[in-house]
Amino acid sequence: MTRLAPPPPGVIGVERVWKRFHADRTRPVLRDEVSRLSQRLRGAHDANRWRWALRDVDIKIDQGDAVGLFGTNGSGKSTLLKILTRVMYPTAGNVRIGGRVGALIEVRAGIHPDLTGRENVFLYGSILGLRRSEIAKRFDAIVDFADLSDAINRQVKFYSSGMAMRLGFGVAAFLEPHVLLVDEVLAVGDATFQQRCLDRMRVVLNQGTTLVFVSHDLASVESISTRGVWLRQGIVAADGPIRDSLSAYRSHIESAAEVEVAGAGQIGISAVVSGSKHEAPATQEPLHVALRLRSSCDQRIVLFIGISEGSAAPVFSLRREYVLDEGVTETKCVIGALPLPRGRYFAWAAITDPAGADLTPWHPVTCFDVLGPDLDAALPGVMRLSPVHVDARWEEISSPVPFRLPTEIAAPRQATGGS
Amino acid sequence: MTATSVEPSEPATEPPAGLRFRRHLGFREAMAELWQARELIRTLVERDLRIRYKQTVLGFGWAVVGPVVFMLVFTVFFQSAGHFATAGVPYALFSYTALVPWTFFAEGVTLGSMSLISNLMLLNKVYCPREVFPIATVITAAFDAAVSALVLLVLFAIYQYPPAITTLWVPVLIALEVAFTLGVTLFASSVLIYLRDVRYVVPLAVQVGMFASPVIYGINVIPAGLRPAYAIADPLGPIIASFRLTVLHNQPPDWGLLGLAALASAAWLTGGYALFKRLETGIADIA
Repeated sequence: MTRLAPPPPGVIGVERVWKRFHADRTRPVLRDEVSRLSQRLRGAHDANRWRWALRDVDIKIDQGDAVGLFGTNGSGKSTLLKILTRVMYPTAGNVRIGGRVGALIEVRAGIHPDLTGRENVFLYGSILGLRRSEIAKRFDAIVDFADLSDAINRQVKFYSSGMAMRLGFGVAAFLEPHVLLVDEVLAVGDATFQQRCLDRMRVVLNQGTTLVFVSHDLASVESISTRGVWLRQGIVAADGPIRDSLSAYRSHIESAAEVEVAGAGQIGISAVVSGSKHEAPATQEPLHVALRLRSSCDQRIVLFIGISEGSAAPVFSLRREYVLDEGVTETKCVIGALPLPRGRYFAWAAITDPAGADLTPWHPVTCFDVLGPDLDAALPGVMRLSPVHVDARWEEISSPVPFRLPTEIAAPRQATGGS
Repeated sequence: MTATSVEPSEPATEPPAGLRFRRHLGFREAMAELWQARELIRTLVERDLRIRYKQTVLGFGWAVVGPVVFMLVFTVFFQSAGHFATAGVPYALFSYTALVPWTFFAEGVTLGSMSLISNLMLLNKVYCPREVFPIATVITAAFDAAVSALVLLVLFAIYQYPPAITTLWVPVLIALEVAFTLGVTLFASSVLIYLRDVRYVVPLAVQVGMFASPVIYGINVIPAGLRPAYAIADPLGPIIASFRLTVLHNQPPDWGLLGLAALASAAWLTGGYALFKRLETGIADIA
């Protein structure tokens, strides 16, 4: 293999990357190798020695791309990210990255509790590859972003966990690398800070930084990325515009969940979803959810149904408590005006007894498509929790009446960190 | 660009043979990378020193306590007995002159061998040339050695025994000792990741090493015919002996033996570094 020149700054080339780990490494390496050697001498072949975490992953990312990386646990996301940070090396294939790489991965790793906030900023900054002079130049912005003010001269062990995390993110957010890798860091921190991190990422993106963002929080992935890569058991299962890859991933995890719980529980549920008059469901039209239940005895139950876009967290859920007869019965729920925009949705259901004990666990029962208008695009970097369609119209006010805002919201907090 | 959703059509279970990844890292690139990381090394040294200063009351005083205690113990046990020929040098001075370089080596190797494993959290998250961690611990140990060397000034004053002019050779000796210490540290720290037993071997080996090296006794205890072999097996022997020769006895180093020690040190440094760079690529896989 000849050595190739590194690509221009911000460009990532993952070329047919494979990565394997030992399938079961519980013993120290040397003992492992010795026993393997003796096995080989005896002619035994150990095919199950390796577990492939990445198989033939081939991704090209251009400068300025915002790529969301998602997949179930153990699908190889973190391995791929570690290979991109050069912490880990591939078994086969090649990775080429242009320019400086900044990684925002578990920010507390580099923070030392016995040092003050100030000392930690310099320590963590130089670990991430900044020069002292560069850190000094950004010091005020970092402290401001992390919202630490006086606490910066205190030892970090006296910080709240949120403060320590903000400090770490603050340093990393002001790295200004060509490529920024972000792994599940938004899970911590309060809502305002999460939003500030997303804002900061948006600023970084606007500066032309390439972003690779790993998260299980699909809403934040969707809000920040333009391209989505779905990893499934170490294979790229989908790569394309974020909405397309996400919906492919969502329908996959839904169907997986469906298979998993099929037949589970004491009461069988099946469902048919339709619009009024057996037409397809449509926005702001009535929705009929017909449920067929099979029970082995008469019992008092609480029936829950919910409509979700992806995860087990529904956009809304409904509840009915009644006495279920033995045998097969049908019940129907009519929703007046469906507040959902166009898209694919899933009906979930569960049954408990009146005390709350599970009779049938929460699981998807069917999926359906809704016809209607698309949702308005949100400001990039603003997370939409779930899709709700509301009727709205815009008007021009011909003769503006001056009005005074309440003082608390008159002066919004000065946005920090941006440019 | 369109989303291509493929049912995982199992690709080959193994990558094609020609696709094997090989890291291309030339010596020059590696050195350039290390040079880039010089500020990180400085920060890591600062971190270690600051933390010790903050966590302990005595702070840098601890650098002095270790060798001084050993010196007192040795003096009490061996001076009166007159065990070892010191050529007229007070025994306290005789042993302390060896204890300073010895303690540097012992501390550098003991802490340095642990430097990768104690920074695993960081190693698994952020990239940097991995040798910065052992290098930083060796530099930290050098700081301590410098502090403990101050006691020598006190001893010179107490015994009215000023250092000889040949002390000017000491920088050469320091360079050799740093090379040897760094070589052993690079070797031990990278092997320790794969073989955790090393963690227990190192302190033991260091303890034995103190008796194997001319710390308590002079190198003249070793039969002259065995000295060349000894110099290669334990480069620290001639180095420590030369510290005594130059500082206390107004003599140049024994160049023959020191040359052999220099060869052995160079072998340790290059071998240790080469092994370290080979093993460092796998740290994240197994740790």
